[in-house]
Amino acid sequence: MLLLDNISVRLGNFAISNLSMDVKNGEYLVILGPTGTGKTVLLETIAGLHGLSSGSIFLNNKDVTNLPPEKRHLGMVYQDYALFPHLTVYGNIAFGLKLMGKTAKEIESIVAKTVKLLGIGSILKRRPRYLSGGERQRTALARALVLNPYILLLDEPLSALDRFTKDRLRRELKRIHKKVGVSILHITHDLSEAFFLGDRLIIMKDGAIVQKDTPENLLKQPKNRFVAELLGIENFIPARLEGTMAFIKGFGTAAFSVILPEYFKEAQSLYLTIPSWGIELFPKRGKESYLFITKMKIVGLNQTESDIEIEMKHCSGPGLLRTTLLRREVSLLPVSIFIGAQVTAGLLKESIHWVLPD
Amino acid sequence: MMLSSGSKSFKVAFSSLGIILVILVALPMVRMIMSADPEIMRTTITDQEVMASVFLTLGAAFWATIFCSILGIPLAYILARSNFPGKSLVEGLVDLPIMIPHTAAGIALLMVYGRNFFVGKAFGKIGISFVGTGVGISLAMAYVSLPFLVNAAKDGFLAVDSKLEHVARTLGASPWQVFFRVTLPLAWRPILSGGIMMWARGISEFGAVVILAYHPMVAPVLIWERFQAYGLKYARPVAVLLIILCLLIFASLRWVSEAKKEA
Repeated sequence: MLLLDNISVRLGNFAISNLSMDVKNGEYLVILGPTGTGKTVLLETIAGLHGLSSGSIFLNNKDVTNLPPEKRHLGMVYQDYALFPHLTVYGNIAFGLKLMGKTAKEIESIVAKTVKLLGIGSILKRRPRYLSGGERQRTALARALVLNPYILLLDEPLSALDRFTKDRLRRELKRIHKKVGVSILHITHDLSEAFFLGDRLIIMKDGAIVQKDTPENLLKQPKNRFVAELLGIENFIPARLEGTMAFIKGFGTAAFSVILPEYFKEAQSLYLTIPSWGIELFPKRGKESYLFITKMKIVGLNQTESDIEIEMKHCSGPGLLRTTLLRREVSLLPVSIFIGAQVTAGLLKESIHWVLPD
Repeated sequence: MMLSSGSKSFKVAFSSLGIILVILVALPMVRMIMSADPEIMRTTITDQEVMASVFLTLGAAFWATIFCSILGIPLAYILARSNFPGKSLVEGLVDLPIMIPHTAAGIALLMVYGRNFFVGKAFGKIGISFVGTGVGISLAMAYVSLPFLVNAAKDGFLAVDSKLEHVARTLGASPWQVFFRVTLPLAWRPILSGGIMMWARGISEFGAVVILAYHPMVAPVLIWERFQAYGLKYARPVAVLLIILCLLIFASLRWVSEAKKEA
């Protein structure tokens, strides 16, 4: 469907260098990366709004590298939706159809179908400034979908919304994708949004792709600390590699035999990563389930309405661990927790990964 | 709504300072209008030379604005949307007529569009002369007042989010269609405002016009001439007439532009 072949773009001080990726037919691909990493520039480049300094872009096996945006046949939805403020919702949706020279009757019937799909029939006469965030998003989607684009490019379409609307609209995006079957390239910095929507994820940093895979595989094997942090992993224990043995620091003397992927070949140092769910307080399973079990002292407690984040320090070393428990889980612990309390922590083998430094 | 004592004193101080300025601007106008002899005013209105001069002034400034819009709006768009080497120099050049004495601008124009330079000669060959003609008056007015239009239009274009233009392109619009269907409909208000300002500045122009075209006489030149020849009593009614006409025109234009905004 969409193929970027070794593309490079330079915009002022920012550059994308030798980037290659593809979006398959009907796929929902999410690009995840922190703000300022070049995601929007990439999307605008695909749309034809910035020229390439090298490389090629193919859409449906056709080289579109030198085609202007209006000839590429793709839809774009920006973070703030960029609705035309001087036009009504209907005028916005019909904008592209009018340019195609369709008659008023044809436009009406095409718009009606898309409007029905998105459930915005009651707001067609309104101007964008009188719409809620959700209504704006649906209007922007309708405006792009009505032209039946090859691919839909979504630039952080949920980040301007409150949590409740965001949750509702990401389900809505999934439904529309399923119903219409259009390929979608969605960029975001929100991890849960990426996991909820993406068939595949691409992790981007400083204008380059760091890793691309399915959400499950990424979680199973994040390539480096940057990816692991982006995937929400909070615990990084430094380790030294000697042959096939990894020696971790900060938790007393501990060494583990490890089998590592090919790209670790040259590495001398690495990190042992443990997600929050991989740290069990007062472990109950058999010893073989844990990488190790150790005594920790609680040094910090941070609470939200639903959970408690516990920061712990190793009793005889500088090692730190952090885990978040639901209030219900905390209430089931055999002892009460407070700053200074001593707890036993087990690191679940199934949760750990070895990653490279950045 | 109750105001805290702090906000009350702030509002009173700012309003008082603002009112002083309004009085400073209005007082000479009011004094001049009030002191005009009704009898002389009547003869002034029926004086063909005066009316011809007033209409020449309004017309020449209007055509200067139209001509500058055709060239200035594209320039303003480029200045708002593009970065290129020498952009600051171009912006400085556009602002220059505001800074230089207008008599100096008139002399500079005369040196280029007069009969002794090839530009003036070339125009002369196709029957366009700038010295002592209506076209010359428009040229002088355009030269000194174009910064108002170009800068207002540039600010208007800058206020239009370029993402709207990007989206329009992805929806199938060519750059021309984007400009006429998205950018211009969103920027027309500041452009109109700049146009009104330019027209107004053109009407009041004396220095550059008097050098390039003393005749036919525009209203500011006529006022000057009557003042020199007959004194204040005969210059004043022409000035009053021009002020009243301008006030009516600009107030109506502002009203139309604001009324559209409300709609």
